[in-house]
Amino acid sequence: MARRYDQRTTIFSPEGRVYQVEYAMTAIRHAGATVGILAKDGIVLAAEKKTTAKLLDQSTTISEKMFKIDEHVVCAVAGITSDANILINYARLSSQRYYYQYQEPMPVEQLVSQICDTKQGYTQYGGLRPFGVSFLYAGWDRHYGFQLYQSDPSGNFAGWKATSIGGENSPVAQSVLRSNYKPDISLKEALTLALKVLTKTMDRSNINSDKLEFSYFTRIGDKIVYHILTAEELDSFIKETDLEPETDD
Amino acid sequence: MSIMAYNGGACIVMTGKNCVAIASDLRFGIQQQTISNDYPKVYRVNDKCFIGISGLVTDAQTLHQKIVFRHNLYKLREERDMSPKVVTNLIANMLYEKRFGPYFTEPLICGLEGPDNTPYISGMDLIGAQVQTDDFLVVGTMTPAMYGVCETLYKKDMNEDELFETISQCMLASLERDALSGWGAVVNIITPTKLITKKLIGRQD
Amino acid sequence: MINIDFDSLEQPTLFDSLASDVKYLDKPHFDLPPNSNPGDFLRETFAHPNAPKPLEFAHGTTTLAFVYSGGIVVAVDSKSTQGPYVASRSVKKVIEITPTLLGTMAGGAADCSFWERELGRRCRLYELRNKELISVAAASKILANIVYSYKGYGLSMGTMITGWDKTGPQLYYVDNDGTRLHGQRFSCGSGSTYAYGVLDSGFKWEMNDEEAYELGRRAVYHATHRDSYSGGAINVYHVQRNGWKKISSDDCFELYKKYYNIAPINKPTN
Repeated sequence: MARRYDQRTTIFSPEGRVYQVEYAMTAIRHAGATVGILAKDGIVLAAEKKTTAKLLDQSTTISEKMFKIDEHVVCAVAGITSDANILINYARLSSQRYYYQYQEPMPVEQLVSQICDTKQGYTQYGGLRPFGVSFLYAGWDRHYGFQLYQSDPSGNFAGWKATSIGGENSPVAQSVLRSNYKPDISLKEALTLALKVLTKTMDRSNINSDKLEFSYFTRIGDKIVYHILTAEELDSFIKETDLEPETDD
Repeated sequence: MSIMAYNGGACIVMTGKNCVAIASDLRFGIQQQTISNDYPKVYRVNDKCFIGISGLVTDAQTLHQKIVFRHNLYKLREERDMSPKVVTNLIANMLYEKRFGPYFTEPLICGLEGPDNTPYISGMDLIGAQVQTDDFLVVGTMTPAMYGVCETLYKKDMNEDELFETISQCMLASLERDALSGWGAVVNIITPTKLITKKLIGRQD
Repeated sequence: MINIDFDSLEQPTLFDSLASDVKYLDKPHFDLPPNSNPGDFLRETFAHPNAPKPLEFAHGTTTLAFVYSGGIVVAVDSKSTQGPYVASRSVKKVIEITPTLLGTMAGGAADCSFWERELGRRCRLYELRNKELISVAAASKILANIVYSYKGYGLSMGTMITGWDKTGPQLYYVDNDGTRLHGQRFSCGSGSTYAYGVLDSGFKWEMNDEEAYELGRRAVYHATHRDSYSGGAINVYHVQRNGWKKISSDDCFELYKKYYNIAPINKPTN
């Protein structure tokens, strides 16, 4: 049945599904998991790195999955990186255009909504395939403080307290987040929780700085600071965090 | 009256030994009427590059905002700051894009270039004809007076204190002969390790 | 060359016939361009596409004078500009016409100083001929008549004529249109609107002399701050019963430091 309705993005199947969008979401499931947790004094983004070939030159890239959109917004990617690059460029441009026009930083939700409008367009207009990317957006603005959003290839987005995208074990990640999240979680606790989630969804032997990426937003004085953990910081953080012993269930 | 002299203003850049300085007056006026006496024409691009824009203030503001726009995108994509040379080429291109309807501004660029922090100054006319020198550059409503004092007081290889003294004297002395600039001045000295900003008290007439 | 005849403006005197020989010494006369209307000639010449830039005269000024219980205070700035160029900060804009008459200078410096000197000469002649001082009304009328006879020739003058005569302290405003006004408070020049603001809000009839001087000084000071073509030093004169007296000359920068308590540069504030 699917064959007849999945060739073009603009066509619904009789059951009311848009297959191209669903395939895009499947593509994202192959990517490494990315976790975002909103704490009371900041936001944590953590991700599993999948491309770790020995000969890959990574000296010029600080980060593989996390991209700064502006001083106050960062996004983490799951899916096709080349698709993501297009949207990230667009997001950066949007944010700067907003600043040029109003001389103040773009509100986070407005930025997310604008990117999602673009994503949506590719699910409706013919001849194009949807963007095979989901994003987690972490940002701060003076209207709503720290915010965490998630978007998918359909162009849907929503604000979250803690969520994950990508990864084969996303139901596991979601359930770990659900059972461990507290409303007044601190940034430090959020970092630990993020590590715990990834420990559950990944192979235990991969818990090291080669396979992980951690970053956070926080507020120091009246400045919003974004920091990506260096390999040394990450390794010592993993070492000092008491991870529960692995269980077989 | 020339549109370039509508708001008044004066700006000087000067090199020293391992440092550069940029100074501007503080007047913002509409022809003969002084509106504000706290309006510097110097803008920070990054810690190692400052620009001074004289001429029509509305164009200077727009130009500055466009430079910030381009610099922010450059920083995100390249993960580093623009060097003064790059800033010069960027502005020159932005100005020439408006060859047949120009921004009525004359920008000066100063900063420290490259890993060994070589002093660098440049300037251009309103449609982006660049000029690089190794001593000083002036723009504003009374350039003859400014050239005169700079030519007289400038010495090669000044340290940051001597440079501050020289550029301050040049600014204050030339402002004495300009009715459309003055009301105090601001001086910025850029060194590899620190940034010094000082306001100078000047005549208020 | 046209010789402008002023005879119609002067009262006939016994000395007229004697003076006729030395007519050229008695009255100023000018070379004029060979056409009927010098004003139009200048305008047309400078409107030509290949014409040089129009002559720029010293224009920017703030001058004021006001009558109060103790006489008249005259306060002026001292800046002279040619376009944006500051030619001088030490111009005397109060013209001492006679020991009892003061005039102020706004507009063309050359026009004001020449014609007020000429006015001084005529006032002295009046004094010699009539054995009494000329009234301020008469003196200002002489000046107004002169500029009126040159109307359209491009003179640029805005001046206050003040003095203390038999009728008391008198203040007149005369400009190049031929306007002549008698009044209690006048200000003239590019900074005059600012000066009026301070003067009108601070004025009262009963003031001691120091208060009056300070009002004049402050009014001009604030005008020099806002008007870029006014500045330099502020000269204050007082017109008294027996003639005028120069009161003070203060540099604007010193006044700024005094009024706003600005500490000298390179000295610690405490």
